Amino acid sequence: MSTPVPRLTLRGVLARKWRIFLTVLAVVSGVAFVSGAFVLTDSVKRAINELFATLSGEVDLEVRSTVAFGDAARAERDPVPFELIDSIAAVPGVDKVEVNILRAATVITSDGEPLRTTGPSFGIAWEGPDGLDGRTLVKGDIARGPGEITLDQSSARRAGYEIGDTVTIVGPTGKGEFELVGLNGTGSTSNGGGAAIIAFEPQTANEFLGAENRADSLYIALSDGASREDVQQAVQSAIDAKYEVITGEQSAKETAGAINDVIDIFGNVLLGFAAVSLFVSAFLIFNTFAIIVSQRLRELALLRAVGASTRQIRSMIVGESLIVSVLATVLGIFAGMGVAVGIVALFNATGAAFPSASLIVSTRTILASLFVGVGVTVAAAIIPAIRAGRIPPVAAMRPELGFTALQKNKRLVVGSVVTALGVAFFGTGVFIQPGNVVSTLLLAALGAVFIFLGVSSLSTTVAAPASRVISRTLPLPFFPMTRSIPGRLGSRNAQRTPRRTASTASALMIGLALVSTVAVVAESVRQTFRDQIEGSVTADFFISNGPQNFQGLPAAFAERLQQLPELGAVSPFRATVALVNGDEKQLGAVRGSAFKDLVDIELQTGSVDSLDAGMILLHEDPARDYGVGVGDSLDITWQNGTKQTLEVGGVYADSSIAGNWLIGLDTLAAVSTAQPVDFFIGAKIAEGVTIDDARVAVEKIAEDFPSAEVQNQAEFQQSQEDQFNQLLIVIYGLLIISIAIAVLGIANTMALSVFERTREFGLLRAVGMSKKMLKRSIRWEAVIVAVFGAVLGIVVGVPLGAAVTFALPESFVTTIVVPYSTIVTVLIAAIVVGVVAAIGPARRAAKLDVLEAISST
Amino acid sequence: MSESATPTLTAAASAVDAFKIYGKGDSEVRALDGVTVTFDVGRFTAIMGPSGSGKSTLMHCLAGLDSLTSGTVRIGDTDISELSDKALTRLRREQVGFIFQAYNLIPTLTALENIRLPLDLGGESGDQAWIDQVVDAVNLRDRLDHRPSELSGGQQQRVAVARALASRPRIIFADEPTGNLDSRTGTEILKFMRRAVSEFGQTIVMVTHDAVAASYADRVVFLADGRIVDEMTEPTADRVLDRMKSLGN
Ligand SMILES: Nc1ncnc2c1ncn2[C@@H]1O[C@H](COP(=O)(O)OP(=O)(O)OP(=O)(O)O)[C@@H](O)[C@H]1O
Ligand SMILES: [Mg+2]
Repeated sequence: MSTPVPRLTLRGVLARKWRIFLTVLAVVSGVAFVSGAFVLTDSVKRAINELFATLSGEVDLEVRSTVAFGDAARAERDPVPFELIDSIAAVPGVDKVEVNILRAATVITSDGEPLRTTGPSFGIAWEGPDGLDGRTLVKGDIARGPGEITLDQSSARRAGYEIGDTVTIVGPTGKGEFELVGLNGTGSTSNGGGAAIIAFEPQTANEFLGAENRADSLYIALSDGASREDVQQAVQSAIDAKYEVITGEQSAKETAGAINDVIDIFGNVLLGFAAVSLFVSAFLIFNTFAIIVSQRLRELALLRAVGASTRQIRSMIVGESLIVSVLATVLGIFAGMGVAVGIVALFNATGAAFPSASLIVSTRTILASLFVGVGVTVAAAIIPAIRAGRIPPVAAMRPELGFTALQKNKRLVVGSVVTALGVAFFGTGVFIQPGNVVSTLLLAALGAVFIFLGVSSLSTTVAAPASRVISRTLPLPFFPMTRSIPGRLGSRNAQRTPRRTASTASALMIGLALVSTVAVVAESVRQTFRDQIEGSVTADFFISNGPQNFQGLPAAFAERLQQLPELGAVSPFRATVALVNGDEKQLGAVRGSAFKDLVDIELQTGSVDSLDAGMILLHEDPARDYGVGVGDSLDITWQNGTKQTLEVGGVYADSSIAGNWLIGLDTLAAVSTAQPVDFFIGAKIAEGVTIDDARVAVEKIAEDFPSAEVQNQAEFQQSQEDQFNQLLIVIYGLLIISIAIAVLGIANTMALSVFERTREFGLLRAVGMSKKMLKRSIRWEAVIVAVFGAVLGIVVGVPLGAAVTFALPESFVTTIVVPYSTIVTVLIAAIVVGVVAAIGPARRAAKLDVLEAISST
Repeated sequence: MSESATPTLTAAASAVDAFKIYGKGDSEVRALDGVTVTFDVGRFTAIMGPSGSGKSTLMHCLAGLDSLTSGTVRIGDTDISELSDKALTRLRREQVGFIFQAYNLIPTLTALENIRLPLDLGGESGDQAWIDQVVDAVNLRDRLDHRPSELSGGQQQRVAVARALASRPRIIFADEPTGNLDSRTGTEILKFMRRAVSEFGQTIVMVTHDAVAASYADRVVFLADGRIVDEMTEPTADRVLDRMKSLGN
């Protein structure tokens, strides 16, 4: 090593290992998210692919109905009648034909409650391990008769059943009792990825699951030596063209693909939060290096004085950041594997069983982690490095000549320009929404990044006065000693290095700004939703299949409610997709005569009853877009290929519950041969009946559908809000990680400042400041910095949230609500953050030996 | 807690058989090697001795900043070796004043706030008339709102002296208070310390290398190798210098 730079760099890192440690930690957490997202998606996707490959087992070919449009895996297909079995079995080369029936069904636990699952819960026809389906029998026997079932291992355990027990199952045709004769398994999982699987002997499945001699599809196994392509063609020509013959592999791929898409979305959400964490980490890294450089002022100036070039000084600092980043990235990749394992464990703990997956760390994962880890760290260290290079040699003797900071007005200009650019990007993204969702999101995100950077730069100019104001106005009850020495010192120290205070606070600003943004949007949507329920919902009861279950209710329920004398209007709400004038749309199907009494859709023209006459209703927005009104007609193509022309029977203004398109139940029934599923049923009590009596009657019927949940308006509203709150909790939970990094950042800055002020603290202790007071002054300083960050966060986040809310379609939000409770929470959280961040540094300061501290330079 | 065996009733501080030993075995350093000394109330004492003789160590132990290996230190009647950190902190705040060679002030506090620091730390309002008198005596009236960085070295040191006096401590310890100042500014500080003793009855113990500085004291205690080797009352610069020369040999 002839050049001293690498040696100095290494020594520099080693000499500051503890200060570097926190920096490493921040980078690690960001990188861990990135690598965790990749490792998770790669591993789980492969496991899912393998699982479905096993499941399709010995299925060589599959026969199913064709669809006219839409995603192959998710499309609603017409069932395949059993009559086809004979003609297919007669095709030479076909060895065996099995029916595939899969319908929503619920296990009633030994406690009498419907078994909750994170995945779907369904009944299937199963011939056992000798059949074509790849499921395994783990224990006991397969169901061989009408009174028998097997359950997947995990569901049986969770429902509290053992082989030999009698189990109640609720299926499309109602309730039934079965003996549990065995436990089935799916690939390496104890169930099917969170799904509950109830396996029946095929004929029982046909009857109990209400298949009415129609299968979802037919599985075909070939005889030995038969050519698959030949048989595929032969089967196709033996049956109608409305059915298609595909290979088992393709079918498995399609199903796995649909799940993989969901996993990808999950992975992308993780990557989004990784980006936030890394961005926050960048502030921490920047801060650490900036402070370390300023603390090494004399040393660096001395190096310059003895002949080190500006470039050598810069490469020394950048080199240090490089060492830190590589170390952090390597740790981060491992931590990411931990994150992946943790997430899988978390899901498994809540009942979903991911297939056991070996962790896959692909080259892409490593490259991406290195790119972000090293990239962010080095980028954040560049400005401090440039600054270090500018230190004049004379600063070795006269430290006060050390830095020529960016001038105040120059900083104001730069900050304002960057902020303005950010606002422009964000505004364009949110309001104009150019291109697709991705480009809109990217533009908005870029805008947010610019705004954060700009505000961070601007905040330096206000950091000192803001700290003063905060220390004066922060509620005195928390800190009755604000005017005391610890209070004064804390406040003055926060004002002492505005740049440091500003960039430390900025890290916290980001997380809290995002929280504020989300809070504004969420509160606004919630308020709108409340207004809508109060304003447009006139139904007295809502019946749905529980908050977690998206499988809907069997149509039999609504039919029975219909008969109740205690109820007046009753209408199920079904959904389907169709091409309307060539565009894929979601359509709701209701009984018009009842629906008009259940939901006020603010009909502008026409009548709701026209739905029952086979007409279509639509919201005024699409009516305008398509240029249609009452009496005009729309071309509909249903998913099974049937084409129809529907007359517009009315135009309405409130799409909050109804969506944009409504058709009648009969219209849907005429084209769809699939079993109807009700997403919810609305009901109004008959005249002269009390709500309590009506409820008793409804609950009585619900006994036969144990998974059904009967709710009145208030309960319905509450359950919708609960779902909404759960989503919010997840978002806040993920943002907490970025806030935690900011806490690290504050702790780090405070620790570095404590180190810097060793002498001062020694002096204070010498003239009689107690450890407690010293701690209090440090805590107070941290609280001021944190509250400053929170105020910045709120100031930035609330308008961003308002902008997003404003840009959202009116069916989502009509009012903008400022969430005062969240703002107060954020401020209180900031105080807590400050207190927590100060724990370590305060303890260190209090531990300082007075004498040593005084004699340190 | 007063004990009958205390050396004198008028002692502001005292050390009896004070040992301070650093390290062990071959590397053992006896910074204080059996020091017994008393500082009377209202007297100005200088401690002198060659570098490494234990002056700072003695002062730190007397002031409760450091603890002895063995022996007793009293501030007034209080045996400080038995005090907890909390009690020591309180004792330093209320009974002891400090003047260090440099970096005496908290940079974020103004001159006045620095002067009032020990009082404010104790949550006391102090004697305003006395503080006014001190401020005027050190001639700082027009600099009270300035931060240390806006003051000259001499002014900073005057603030430090004023701070030491502000709470009327039982005793003030000064470790080479003029070491960093030019002779004219140094003289100013020394004259003021002298006045504090003569006019206000303040007790001061000052460590110094400078014979001229020592001549402002009532008494000089000479240390060598951790022991008290001589004493002199009514010192003059020449006599002190002579004595120091003989110690150096
Ligand atoms: N922490 C320590 N560990 C080991 N030895 C120490 C320590 N502190 C002081 N000493 C030693 O104790 C002796 C007395 O030190 P002290 O600082 O009291 O000397 P001094 O008289 O104040 O010297 P100076 O005039 O140079 O300030 C010296 O030999 C010194 O090396
Ligand atoms: Mg000394």
